[in-house]
Amino acid sequence: MTINLKSLRSLFLLWGLLLLSGPSLFATNVIDTISHLDWDGVEVRWVEDQRLPVYTIAIYFADGAISDASNRKGETSTMFDLLESGTRRYSQQEISDHLDFYAAARSGNVNHEYASYTVSGLIKDLVPTMKKVCHLFADSIFPKHEVKKVIKKQVANLRSMINSKGALANRAFRQLSLKGSPFDYPAEGKIGDLPRINQRGLKKRLDYFNRSVKKRIYLFGPKKVLAFKDIVKHDCRWKGEGANFVRQIDYSPVKASGKGAPIYLITVPDANQAQVRVGRFLNRNQDANRPLMSLASGFLGGGFTSKLNREVRVKRGLTYSISSFASMQKEYGRAAIMTSTRNDRVVELLQVVRDVIKQVGQGEYPAEEFLKAQGHLAGGNAFRFEQGEGLVSQLLFFDHVGTPYRHLVEFPAKVEGLNAQQMNQTIKDLFAWSKQTIVVLGSAALRKELKKLGNVKVIPYKRFL
Amino acid sequence: MKQGKFLWLLVTLLVGVVSCSHLPGTSKDQAREGNENGTMDGVAEIKGDLGPVGNKGQSVPDIPVKKFRLKNGLTVLISENHQLPITSYYTFFDIGGRHEKPGITGATHFLEHLMFKGAKKYGPGVFDTTIEKNGGSTNAYTSMDSTVYHQKFPSHLTKKIIEMEADRMVNLLLEPAAFEKERQVILEERKMRYENRPSGKLYLAMMQEVFKDTPYGGSVIGDIPDLKGVTREQIWDHFRRYYAPNNAVIVIVGDVDSQQVIRWINHNYGAIAPSKNLAEYKQERDDPTLYTHRARFGRSVNIHGGSPSPMFMLAYKGEAYGTRNSYVMDLISSILGSGTSSYLNQRYVQGKKPRLASVYSGNYTLKHSGVFYIGGRLLPRTNLKSLKRSLLRDVKRSCTKMITDRNHHKILNQFLHSLYHGLGSNSGVASFLGNYEFLKGDYAHYRQELAIYSSITLEEMRQGCRTLFNPGQYIFVSLWNKHPAK
Repeated sequence: MTINLKSLRSLFLLWGLLLLSGPSLFATNVIDTISHLDWDGVEVRWVEDQRLPVYTIAIYFADGAISDASNRKGETSTMFDLLESGTRRYSQQEISDHLDFYAAARSGNVNHEYASYTVSGLIKDLVPTMKKVCHLFADSIFPKHEVKKVIKKQVANLRSMINSKGALANRAFRQLSLKGSPFDYPAEGKIGDLPRINQRGLKKRLDYFNRSVKKRIYLFGPKKVLAFKDIVKHDCRWKGEGANFVRQIDYSPVKASGKGAPIYLITVPDANQAQVRVGRFLNRNQDANRPLMSLASGFLGGGFTSKLNREVRVKRGLTYSISSFASMQKEYGRAAIMTSTRNDRVVELLQVVRDVIKQVGQGEYPAEEFLKAQGHLAGGNAFRFEQGEGLVSQLLFFDHVGTPYRHLVEFPAKVEGLNAQQMNQTIKDLFAWSKQTIVVLGSAALRKELKKLGNVKVIPYKRFL
Repeated sequence: MKQGKFLWLLVTLLVGVVSCSHLPGTSKDQAREGNENGTMDGVAEIKGDLGPVGNKGQSVPDIPVKKFRLKNGLTVLISENHQLPITSYYTFFDIGGRHEKPGITGATHFLEHLMFKGAKKYGPGVFDTTIEKNGGSTNAYTSMDSTVYHQKFPSHLTKKIIEMEADRMVNLLLEPAAFEKERQVILEERKMRYENRPSGKLYLAMMQEVFKDTPYGGSVIGDIPDLKGVTREQIWDHFRRYYAPNNAVIVIVGDVDSQQVIRWINHNYGAIAPSKNLAEYKQERDDPTLYTHRARFGRSVNIHGGSPSPMFMLAYKGEAYGTRNSYVMDLISSILGSGTSSYLNQRYVQGKKPRLASVYSGNYTLKHSGVFYIGGRLLPRTNLKSLKRSLLRDVKRSCTKMITDRNHHKILNQFLHSLYHGLGSNSGVASFLGNYEFLKGDYAHYRQELAIYSSITLEEMRQGCRTLFNPGQYIFVSLWNKHPAK
């Protein structure tokens, strides 16, 4: 077996040299390493990184699942899933063999607002890999038998979601807490939607993304990654001109759940642990203070030293893990607390969470806890740049929501400029108990316990599939 | 080893993990001596042969590493990387689930949790607070073979981390109240990872069936009666025996000065006494005869579990990490189940008449034994018995069909990509180096390993495949909500 030993050798030599003496990517200012390029009207961002002979390429599309027709929900997500299902020239087997041969890791991501497709691999094999990827975008025909097969598999996967109770709780929680907004429906559709997806619709959808939707390309890697330019032109055939549609989403502001809103109990069989989700939808807010939201959610549930972890896990042994987040997309946001606990202590857990939120909102905690959360968030900034994929997805998201790149370097100072009163008020606003949707997924027997806290609405889990 | 690495991660996800603070109590009192900025008595730098190795003179990656050994047996690897002002710190202890005897399963993992509950100098809550308030993070995992603690933090914290890690290696508190709280936490973790997760339940059952009556046949998370019954004294005994410098490897990667760091290490760890009877404790569990597969193969095991469609794991006898055959099995495993184009994916998931919603394969190479497995989830209207028959037939047939020059090339490319991907962070490098040092006593062993993978011939793989899939040498474990509950 003498296969590619020559190329292995040259790669290793290059890598060894770079580890010892390579240019420092992040030594001064990460923003200086980002080049803004224009490839036939398509915006391109390149983060040069000479350290390793690998690349990451992410392609951003400025539309997402929100534009799926009401009778074909999940179509965009399925379209990305089926990109490798066949073209006029190549079968699914040939395509996957080609891409696997070049060790290309690829994934599509579709959410309500936008979609992206990311590929990473060895730089020596960038050209044959990306030529194939572009061929897929240009010529995929979504063969009928492949569509049928994938839909069958997707339906089976949804039916098996009971195997992952955390994921199932997240899915139910999203649908309930975002109710009344345009974002509550799962981006990948529900079981009832999938059989309506067909070859014709998928081809139209791909054509729309190719011709009409604005794209942006993110490159991470050594200079050789720029070889993608000619491939974009000749194989993807993407141009900026004409492809400039950016999805805007109009909706009336959604009212938060008020007092008296029920606790939702999503029943599943054979569960000796309850999944708990508490949170709410946030209306569009272009002036949202993102660092402040991150600080507020980090204080509550970010890391092992967060307030909720200390109170719920360390002091009471009620859970293995508890976390929270509060963030804004471009058109909406979400705030949530996620945890699980034993069946007989679910009420106690909810009461502790409620009390902690109240106390923090009133500033009833030691001052050093604020400083610790502040330090955690500000000091953690450097770790966001360590790996290419992380940086690329960060830039992609910044462009999507309109945040300037300088935020990357200004973030620690912005966090350090916040004070405890601002954070307390934000926690009060975001997590006020009366505004939360509370979802518990677990045994039907939990109903009796939960009734101690108020109205309980029981919904079988299958309703969310 | 490639699959071994993947499984290392899998074990991390399935079993170990987590932390947090609180406790006063017992300690292994040790006086600290030495000058942190002065000379380094008792530290030996170990120079390795870093010249090119491997077949046909090909060069291999050369990660710049300095290796030291303290008089008390502590091994330290330091690799400088000045790209960002951050550092990763890994501590590997040679203690895992296999060291537990019946009645105390889960003790190693329990101890891992308690290591975050405070020590004598840095008391409850100090360790994780110090790291997190500076933007860093900390965690740990336990496997059958090892317990690993890891942190990443801004580099200015390096000295403090060394002090805190040394403190908890020798002066751990085991405050009773925190001990009891953590017992509840672990019982919840067990529910989350195994009792309420069919994939975890299936994996655990497969491991226990394959390694029955060997030290790998317990469970890292622990059996419920053991978790409920284990005492503070038993955990303390575990700590006293195995948490010692002569049973540990420290790996530090990041923006540090290696000479300064080794001085700090020597100052803080140098006076910690080695575990005197470590060799004796370990001898008993390292006896190779204990690890011979004793389970009865050629059978099926049905487990009642929450999955509405059957899930299965088809397991074969694997080999310990480092044997040539184990590398052959790594390649076979990748060709069988790695990527959409792999043999099993094309045959059972992507083919014209798919029978599985997903399929995967793995070659889990442990320190003293191993298991080769294929797993998947059935699509509706697929018969479990018929699927099993097809699989047993197809894996045997695959030995001639799937082992081709192209597939070998493909797998080496995938190996390279995942290798580089793993090396893209300080933590990735630290974990990578530490695993090799832990398993082979030589962090640079990866360089030989690349040569081994490329030297394996197609015929060797075919022969290895035929031996592996010998009829009757399997255990087929399936989980389904329609299997009767026992």
